[in-house]
Amino acid sequence: MKDETRQPDTDPIRRYLDGELEATDLPNRLRSEARAWEGLLATIRDTHPRAPAPAWLEDRVMAEIEALEAPGPLIRAWRWLVHPRTFRVPPLAVGLATAAVAALALLPRTGLPPSAPVSPPAVGVDAIPGEGMSPAAGAVSAATLEPVVYVQFVLEAPGARSVSVGGDFDGWEGSHDLSDNDGDGVWTGRVPIEPGVHAYMFLVDGSDWVTDPEAQRYTDDGFGNRNAILALADPRT
Amino acid sequence: MATPHSTAAKEDSYVDPMAPPTERPDAQVVQDILAGDRDAFRLLVRRYGDVLYGHALRMSRSPDVAADLVQRALVKGYQKLGTCDDPARVGAWLFRILANLSLDHIRSPRRKDVSLQQIPEIPSDRSPDPSADAARAEFRERLEQAMQRLSPEQREAFLLKHVDGLPYDEISILMGLSVPALKMRVHRARVTLRDLLEVYA
Repeated sequence: MKDETRQPDTDPIRRYLDGELEATDLPNRLRSEARAWEGLLATIRDTHPRAPAPAWLEDRVMAEIEALEAPGPLIRAWRWLVHPRTFRVPPLAVGLATAAVAALALLPRTGLPPSAPVSPPAVGVDAIPGEGMSPAAGAVSAATLEPVVYVQFVLEAPGARSVSVGGDFDGWEGSHDLSDNDGDGVWTGRVPIEPGVHAYMFLVDGSDWVTDPEAQRYTDDGFGNRNAILALADPRT
Repeated sequence: MATPHSTAAKEDSYVDPMAPPTERPDAQVVQDILAGDRDAFRLLVRRYGDVLYGHALRMSRSPDVAADLVQRALVKGYQKLGTCDDPARVGAWLFRILANLSLDHIRSPRRKDVSLQQIPEIPSDRSPDPSADAARAEFRERLEQAMQRLSPEQREAFLLKHVDGLPYDEISILMGLSVPALKMRVHRARVTLRDLLEVYA
């Protein structure tokens, strides 16, 4: 198995391994090399056994799908807010009604347990343009933007110089910084993430990856560590 | 998908695991799911679960990680099903989702902490000769180390070509790369493996 510098279009071994030539097309001087490659590739195939998916996988996938589609109380509240309906509101009550809606819309941003996914979505999915709202603004909300869910991350890390969160949603860059403005060692931050199932960890001081101790679900990463798992329902469903 | 034309990976009994089924075609299943028949997604899980799991297992070398990756890929696929441009090839589309998740997993920063001792032990062959078994085990350990030295992209392409036995045009669809680029990637993987194994020898 020599001579890697041969040109691809003219290298018979390379063309043989790529399926462009049969063994019988090879000159005799190259057939032993071809057999050596076949032996190596057969060994590699042997060391990568085919295995069926676990029997429980189907039910687990369907259960997760069902759970994602079951709306939680916040989703139901959001749907109630954005669902078009007719109200008869006395003129003097307009100010009070506006204040109530704002409070509900802000509710997910506060008072939630650590690491809990929160709603509503960042874009006005299913929003109905109202008086004073331009038609263009209403069209953009559901037709052209991917929905995201804002997730409040919290990690208690006294003494840390910096804390960020990273996962498959940012290519494990740890690019979303958390802050500890009052210096009490509790780092928080809100991150917009697309709906779906995501793995994540915290990055402390730019070098130490820390598993979220408060996550509701974990997965073994196969290398002796655990990733936290975050399941975010699509707010449009 | 066509029968793979690779001489190196040729198997007479090969059945393309990604070939669309003849009963209730994938496009119809996808249409039914999008129309609200959630349970129809079970059909896709049954049709493609094994091939997805097989690839995840070969990439991650961990049954637990593989199952988790496949579960996440299928759930994500369900959620994004409306964006599948070619429902008749939904199997390939699901595979692409899984492949991206697998690469994300391998690229995770703690990937460098992998201990070769954590790689599952490979059963030896049926040889009654203990010394032959030991030599074979040693070679396979070197081979495992060499495989881990490939870049994730090289390993993915190499496994699809020489372990899964898929033809380049199918891998091209799965990976979103041109066939010439794929051939170069697989070639570099082979050269790297060969060089590493010769160094070890």
